[in-house]
This record gives sequence, C-alpha cells and structure tokens, in this order.
Amino acid sequence: MTKVNRFGSTSLKNRYFRIIASVFALIILCGMAFFLYINKEQEKLNNDRDTLHKKTQTINQLSDNLNEIFLRARGFIALKNENELMLLNQALHDFDGVLKDYSQLTLSAEESKYRDDLKAFFTEYKYTLLPRALKLAEEGNYEALRSTSGGGTTAKVNEFLDYTKGYQKRADTALNEMAKNSIHKANEFTVVAFLFSTAILFLFTLLVWRILRNLIVPILKLEEATHSLAAGEQILLGTLHQKDEIGRLYNAFLDMAHSIQDKEEELMMQNEELHAQQDELHDQQHRLQRSLNEIESMMKALDQSAAVGILSAKGVFTYANDNLSSYTGYRNSEIIGYTYKLFEMPDMLEHDMQQMYRKLKSGGVWTHEIGLQTKSGATTWLNLTIVPYLNSEGTIYQYILIASDITSLKSVQQELALTLKATEQTKTMLELNNQLNHDISYTLNKNEFTEKFLHFMNRLYSFDSSFFLLTKDTIYAAKGIPQDRIERYVESSCSEMLHRLQTESSYVIKRPATEAEQGIAPDQMYCYDFYTKVVNAEDEILAVFCGSRIGLSFSDEELNEVQGLMNRVSLAIERLFMYEEIEHARKLNQDIVNNVNEGIQFVDTEGTMLHANKALCQMTDYSRWTEGGHESKDEWMAHFMQAANESNDICGFFQKALGEEAAESASMRYSIGTESVKHIDVYAIPVFRRDARIGTLFVHRDITREYELDLMKSELVSTVSHELRTPLSSVLGFTELLLARTMKPEKQLKYLETIHKEAKRLTELINDFLDLQRMESGKQQYTTESANLSEIVLGVLDQYKLGSHNVLLVDEAFNSEVEVDRDKIIQVLTNLLSNAIKFSPDSNEVNVHLHNEEDRIVVRIQDHGLGIPKDQIGHLFQKFRRVDNSASKRIGGTGLGLAICKEIIDKQKGEIGIESVEGKGTTVWFSLPNLYSEHKQYEEDGGRWNPDKEVKPNVMIVEDDYSLSLLLSEELKGKGFRVTHHYHPQKAFDQALKTPFVAIVIDLMLGDELDGWDLIRMLKEDQRTETIPLVISSALDKSDKNALNNVIQTYLTKPYPPGELSQTLEEIVKIRQASGEVLFPDNSPEKEEDKS
Amino acid sequence: MQKVLVVDDEEVLRMLITDTLEDLEDVEIYTAENGEDALEKLEADTYDLVILDYMMPKMTGIEVLGQVDDEKKKNTPFLMLTAKAQEMDRNRAIEAGVRYFMPKPFSPLELLQVVEGILK
Repeated sequence: MTKVNRFGSTSLKNRYFRIIASVFALIILCGMAFFLYINKEQEKLNNDRDTLHKKTQTINQLSDNLNEIFLRARGFIALKNENELMLLNQALHDFDGVLKDYSQLTLSAEESKYRDDLKAFFTEYKYTLLPRALKLAEEGNYEALRSTSGGGTTAKVNEFLDYTKGYQKRADTALNEMAKNSIHKANEFTVVAFLFSTAILFLFTLLVWRILRNLIVPILKLEEATHSLAAGEQILLGTLHQKDEIGRLYNAFLDMAHSIQDKEEELMMQNEELHAQQDELHDQQHRLQRSLNEIESMMKALDQSAAVGILSAKGVFTYANDNLSSYTGYRNSEIIGYTYKLFEMPDMLEHDMQQMYRKLKSGGVWTHEIGLQTKSGATTWLNLTIVPYLNSEGTIYQYILIASDITSLKSVQQELALTLKATEQTKTMLELNNQLNHDISYTLNKNEFTEKFLHFMNRLYSFDSSFFLLTKDTIYAAKGIPQDRIERYVESSCSEMLHRLQTESSYVIKRPATEAEQGIAPDQMYCYDFYTKVVNAEDEILAVFCGSRIGLSFSDEELNEVQGLMNRVSLAIERLFMYEEIEHARKLNQDIVNNVNEGIQFVDTEGTMLHANKALCQMTDYSRWTEGGHESKDEWMAHFMQAANESNDICGFFQKALGEEAAESASMRYSIGTESVKHIDVYAIPVFRRDARIGTLFVHRDITREYELDLMKSELVSTVSHELRTPLSSVLGFTELLLARTMKPEKQLKYLETIHKEAKRLTELINDFLDLQRMESGKQQYTTESANLSEIVLGVLDQYKLGSHNVLLVDEAFNSEVEVDRDKIIQVLTNLLSNAIKFSPDSNEVNVHLHNEEDRIVVRIQDHGLGIPKDQIGHLFQKFRRVDNSASKRIGGTGLGLAICKEIIDKQKGEIGIESVEGKGTTVWFSLPNLYSEHKQYEEDGGRWNPDKEVKPNVMIVEDDYSLSLLLSEELKGKGFRVTHHYHPQKAFDQALKTPFVAIVIDLMLGDELDGWDLIRMLKEDQRTETIPLVISSALDKSDKNALNNVIQTYLTKPYPPGELSQTLEEIVKIRQASGEVLFPDNSPEKEEDKS
Repeated sequence: MQKVLVVDDEEVLRMLITDTLEDLEDVEIYTAENGEDALEKLEADTYDLVILDYMMPKMTGIEVLGQVDDEKKKNTPFLMLTAKAQEMDRNRAIEAGVRYFMPKPFSPLELLQVVEGILK
C-alpha cells in the first residue's frame, strides 16, 4: 500500500473525520442563520410598535393643542384677556412644533392626508380666521364673529378631534394585532427549531450506521474465516476491494491464512515423502535380501561350473572349491594356506603380471586367459577373473578368483587361425584370377588388354622385367625394359624367339645377370628368362610373353600355372579380334546405311525404332533422331503424323505394316511440308530371322522429282491438247466448210489464208516442243559469231513497229559486242517481247533498255501488264509452267517460251531473270558477256546500273531504217548521248512530251500515214515541244524546203558521215549551255520509271 | 427471228461459227469476244441459244455462267465449245448449267445440225 493511499481517501479515520466535520459545520451554519433571522424579525416588530406609539402620542398632543387653541381663542374672545392671547399664541406655536414633528414621522396615505388637511386648516385658521376673529372680537362685532365661527370652523375642528379619537382607537387595535403576530411567529420558530434538531439527529444516526457497517461486516467475515482457519477448513474468502485499514487488515489476514495453508500443505508433502522413503527403504531391504539369496545361489552355481578360490590380501588361499582342485590337479588341502605362486604360469609374461597388479591395486577386476601348469605338468587353459574385495576404508582385504577351463576352446581357436591364414592366401589368389577374368572379358581395347595382362603377371610372379606382345598387330606392353630395346626387338619381329616358340610351348634361359641387373649384389647373380606363347585352336601364335627374374628360378608348378593362364588368355585374345572384326563390319554397314539416299528405318516387333539413318532424319526434318538411337513407337509415329500431310493414312500404313499378319511388303506415298512439298514413297518389309519375325524395315524414298515430273507431264498433256485443238478447230472447220459449200472465190481465199495461218501456228507450237526437246537432250547446235547486240535488238524491234504496242528502246550500252548465236538470241528477244505484249493487254507500252554492267551487257524488257504472283516467279523458267490464274489462262502459250529462253541464254554463258509486281507489270532481263571488256565512261555504282546517277543528254532518233538508226545511235552513244529510237511520228511525239530531249533527229520520209514533216509540225505547234532543236536527216534535197529554215536547226542530207550528226548535236548542247538553259534530261524517278 | 449469241475470244473461230450458221433461216447471229461482253449482251437481250467457248480472256466460259442468273440459265440453252475434252471438264461444265457440249476441234456441219435441232 502506498503512502498516498494511506493518507488519502483510503484511510477510514480521515474519511469519517471529514464527514463529521462537514456535518458539524453545516449545523452551525444553519443555526446561526436561524438565530440572525429571529433577531431581525424581533427588532422590526419593536420598531413598528415604537413608531405607532409615537404617532399616537403626537396625534394626542395635536388634539390637546388644538383644544387649547380653541379654548384660549374663545377665552380671549370672551374675556379679552391679554393673558389668554399670549397663551393662545403659545398654543399655536406648540401646535406648529408638534405638527412639524408629526410630519417627520413615516406616514401612511391616510395620515398624510390628515396631516395636510390639518396643516391647511391650521394655516387658514392662524392667518385668516383667527386674526379676523380677533379683530372682530376687538371691534366687538360679535355678530360677525358668530357667523364667522359658525362658518364651518368649529365643524372642522370637531372633525379633527374625532379623527384624533378614532386614530387612537385604531392605533390600539394595530398594537394588539402586532402582539398577536409576534406570538404567532414565535410559535413558527419553535416548530422550525424542532425539525432542524430532528434532521441533525437523523444525519448522525445515518453516519454512525454506515461507519458501523463498514467496520463490522469485514470484521465478522474475518471472524468467520478465523474460525474456519482454526478448524483447518478451506478459507472461502474473496478478495476485498477496500483499500482502507480494514481492507489492508483483511488482505494481510488472507495472506497469512494462505501462507499458513501453504505451509501446512508443504508439511503434508514432506510427511508423505517421508512415508515414501520409508517404503523405499523397506523395498531396498527386500531387494537386498533377494540379492543376497541370488548371490548365494549364484555362488552355488559358480561353484558348480567354475573354479573358485579366495585369497587373502597377502595372496594366500583361504578357500578353494572342488573345481579348482580338479583343474589344477592339486587337492584342496594342498592349495589352502599356500600363496598363488603355487601355480606356475609359463605363458604369462612379466608385462601381463605388472598389468594385473596395477589393475587389482586400483580395485579393478582383472580378466585374462592364462595357461597354467597342473600338478602333473600338463598345461591347462583357464579364463581367469580376479575380483578384489575392499573394506570400508578402501583397502583390499581379499581377492576372489574365478576360473573356467578353456583348454579345448583354445586348441580349436588355434586350428581355426591356421585355416584362416590358408583361406586368406587362396582368396587373394582367387581375387587376382577374378580380376584377370574380368579384365580380359570386359576389355575391348587391345592396348589396355596387354597392359592389364602384363600387370597381372608381374603381380603374380614378381618378374623384374616382362614383355607381352600381340603378334598380329604388334601391340605390346613392357615393364623394366628400355624403350629402344623393345622397339628394336619388335622391329625384328622377335624372329629368334618366334622361331623357337614354333616348336616349343615355352622355354627358360638361365644367364648371368648383366651389370645393371647385378646391382649391389655381392655374389654372382643369374637371370632366368622365361618365354611362352599364346596360340589359338589352329595353333597359330597370337601373342608371346617373356618375363625375367633376377636370381629367382621358376618352379614347375609356376610354369604349369603360367601355361594354364596362357590358354585362358588365348580365348580372350581371339574374342578381341572377333570384336574388332564385328565392329569394323558394323561400322561399314552403318556407313552404307547412312550414305544411301533412301531413308531407312528398322522397327522391332514391339514397335520400338531401333535404327534410323541420316537420310531419313534429313528427309523428314527430324533432328532429334540420332544415329542408332532408340525411340518408342509412340514417339516416332507422332513425328510422322505431325510431319506428313496425310497423317491418318501414314499412321494406318505403319500400324498395318507393324501388325503380325503383314507378311508381305507394302508401300504408300506421303508428302511433307506445305511450301516446298516433298513427296516420299515408303515401303515396308517384314524382316525374319530363322522363320521368326524380328521386326519391320521401312524404306523411305524421296520421289519429289519424279512426282513433279509426272505432274508436269500431265500438265503438258492438258496444255498441249488445248493449244493444239484451237488451231486445229479452225483448220478442220474451214476445210469442212470449203468442201461442203460452194462460195465466192474471195471467201475461199480468206478461208484458205486462215487455214494457212492456223496451220503455221500449229507448226510453231510443234517447233517449240521440238526445240526444247532438242535443247534438253543436248543435241542443239549453237553457231556463235561476234555480233552487236544493239543491232540485233533494233532488228527485232523493227518487226514490232506496226504492232498494237508501242515498243520503246533506250540504248545506253556503249559496248554491245557479244559472241552469240544470232538466231537464238533473236528467238529469245522475240519470245520475251511477245510475252511482254501478250501479258499486258491493258497497256500499250513495252520498254526495252540496254546498258552495260561490268563486262556484260544487260537487256531489260519491261511491260506494264498483269505481273506475276510472287510465289510463282521461281517456277517460271521451268518447263510447262505458266502463271496459274484466271487472268492469264486466257492467254495462250505452250508454257515453253521462258524455258527455251533460259536454255539459250544459259548456253551463251548469260544470265536471265524476272522481276515482277503482280498487277503492275513484269521486267525480264538477261545479260550476256561482252566480247571485249572495256570500261569506257561507265560509272561503277555498286556493281549495279542505277538510272538516277545517269546524267546524259537525251536524244531521240526518229528513223525507220533500222540500220541507219543503229549507225547513228552507235555514234551518239560513243559521244555520251542517251539515245531513244522511234519509227512512228505519232509515237515519237508522245515520247517527246514525256522525255526532255536535247534534240530530235528526224527522217523526213517515214511511214505512209504520217511523215517527218507532220512530226515537225506537231512538235512546233505544241507549246511544250516547240523549243526542242530539230535536226533533219534526209535523203531529200534541202533546197526544196527552205520555208522551214527558221524552225530547223540543222539539215543533214543523206548520206552523211555519222560524225557530222554528233558534232552538230554537241554544238547544240554547247550553245544551250552558254545560254544558260538546262540541257540535261530530267531524270526524276517517276519519269525514269516511265522510260526504263 | 431467233437470236444466237456466239462467244469466243478467237476471231478465227467466231468467223467460222458465224459463217457456219449463216445459212440458217430466220436466225440472227450476235458475237461477243470475251466474258464481260457476253454478260452485258445477255443482260440486255434474250437469246435462243448461246454458244460459249471455255478458254477465254479474263473469264472462262464457266465463270461467265456463274454470273448468269438461274432464271436465264433455265430459259436459255447454252452450248459449250471447248478444247478441254476430258470427262472432268465436261462434268464441271454440266454442273455450271451447260446443256449442250461440243469438244474442239468440232465439225461445223455437225454444229449446224445441233444448232438447228436446238432452235426447233
């Protein structure tokens, strides 16, 4: 409990002191207040009574004075006595004084009125009535006087007097009332005082009761608890939550009670423990008794089974049982009284004795097997145990000696040890043999084998040096022989040794040791060299063994053993050779299987794949298969099902082929891949060994080429049949009509012409086939000659100048000399141009472009036609391939054209290629090697021709004579111009609108419809072309057309040297450059696209 | 007057057919040189017979038929001339609505007979 608690509200003393003090203060306070109140009330009552008294007196005085005034006044009037007047004046003066006093008193309303009336009357009387009356009296006018006095004065005075009398009466009544009141009040006070005292009494009673309760209840509880404590019962007291003295007492008591109870319990427990200990002691006593009995019986048993003796501390026998005497041969009487030294122990070492003494002295038990000499002198083996007995001081007072006879055991033991040793030796021998067996059975490497065998021999027979050689392979192992000697020996094929071994199975040579072998041995040593061989069943020598021992000869036993070993080794060596042969054969087979083109797969009867060769892995894109790797049926089947497009079919095929009833070979075809499809033919053959099925062999053959060839052939049949039938229809139809009908000769002619044309078409078609056939079979003869490719191109283009398409040539090749078969190149160009025209039905322009690229000339033929789907471009040069879509189906063709072109170009050491965008057009290009390699003016740009970099002035030649055109263009190209050719004036004009030309060279005599003049007119009339300088190149005389002089720059009359034209054009360029005009063609990309 | 439409891309064949049929009385012959042309003409007019080539530019004969509505196909006999004479091609043509079929090369007189038979 803390200090605060003790001095705070928790102290009973303080708490009750405070309550009592506050109640006492309250009572005093209330009493005082009551007393003061009563006092005040009494004082007030006294004052009221005094005031009333005074008023009554004053009013009585006033009344007296008034009476006197009247008396005197009347007296004077009546008597005219001066004395009376004086007394009157005195009375008046007194009255005035009394009235003044009266006015000073606290007055009620009625009294005030009375006072004012009195005052008014007095004033009127004194100053008006009295002087007038006195005067009248002096005058003696009593009449007037009477009227005056009768005029109310007397009445008034009387009234006053009455009031006075009444007032007095009232005052008395009031006084009586007051007395009554005060008595009443006093009664009230008495009641209040009584109630107050009762309340105080009640409060005290309450207080006392509370104190008692707080004190007595816990005390009673404590008392009860004390009783229970005394009775030793459990105290059932809850904690009291009071913090005051009682609470503390209560808690202290509780603590005390608990500690008493705890102590009691402790005591009880100790008591119990004591009881338990007592029980235990009893038990121990019992046990001891039993042990004693046991020991007694044990002693009895011991006496029966073992020799027992007791020695005193000094080593003298004090007891010996019958066994001891029977073991030792001494009688009891011969033992007792003698020291232990009676018995001789010849095997016992001094060291063992010392140990025994030490052990026994320290109180330990000593056990040992000892050999003891009996009385008869024989040795008996005893297992002896000596137990020292110690007294309470720890000193030994006697020894007990227990011994059992182990003589027979000992002899068995010795026998066993001998046997064990022999067994050990045999075991080592066996282990070595096993090791050898193991080594020679599991070693497949010859080197390893020889090493191991040599090691084994050395270990078994301790050779100082040894050598083992496989004669066939000259593989050997050696120990203790210098390397060079062995090599020399092996090189000479061990001829001497082998020769001798041919006839003898083994031999031993004894020779004096060499100096090295002699070593530090003082005596002359001999070496024994042992030679033996390993032969097979046919008596061929497989291996030889020689071993040398210094100073240790060979016993016959050893020699026999070695011979036996050699026979065993012979089998192992033969096995080694056999293994090598098999391995070699297996590798060979493996190589064969792996190097055939067919995929080979061997599956056992369970379905497990035992072998798959490389070709199969490659064919079926199976990287997981490794050489010889086994795969379960599910795994490899899953792969095939996934890879093959016909997964269900192939699964069925495999299942059927693996089935037991599938005795005959079967085959099927399947394909792999979607883009480049591989077609594979697989056949299955059941494999039998001695009439038992051991598995199934699957052979997969890639037949893609054959398959495609088949496909192509059937396509060819279809195409050819269609292509041949159309012209045949015409030929047959018109012939039939001609035969069946009569018609006009014109019509007949027309029919015949048609028939002829169609027949020619048929011929061409057949020629194409034959051409290709010839080319393919290599029978085509090429007659090459040097030619100008530009010239050839111009020549071919010449045939197209009147066609539906506008064929435009841009020739930028400065070196167009090639060595080719002219006719074949013309065939290629014709073919490509026909294609370009044929496959661009919605466009009317085909561009041909020539340029040099390194030492080659490149020809590009570009159309703006249908184009070719990307995936088909690659196939186009294959035979019978045509773009397969509805738009191109309608366009006839054998599908041989491009194949022929490629064949021809390939044979001329050229290259050919196609670039195409479907829907936009196709460009076919081919390049041929130049005859002479020249690098003139040519700007190398990453090896490829780039039109953007070309900044050559453009010139157009409009000329229908292609040889002249060629001549001029060669000249101009040589001077660095870029030449565009045209034949037709209208087409030339269209071109002039598209391409900015430095100048246009025009031949006047052109076609039938339009000539050079028309072109000049068109050019000059158009605002866009009027400024282009024109050069006329004509066979006509210039003079005829003077009128045009102003529009023509130069007029060249044919024939003129080509140099003249180039000179003229160069001049034009110079003039234009001088005048600041831009002469170079606009080579913006989109325009370039139009041209090239 | 009966109307016959000849659709063929080969001018020579158009001429052959037209000339073959010119002897027929009360028959007017119209020609079309490709599928689109033929469809336009079929749309605009009704014909008593359409002789249709299979291999044509831009649209094959079968493709043309595919765009002719069923009503018209039912009322107009189509005769197909084709160099594709194999069974498979023939079946495909019949499936597309061709009623008469004549392989190339054909005999004009035979064609005349067939046309006469159809038009009767």
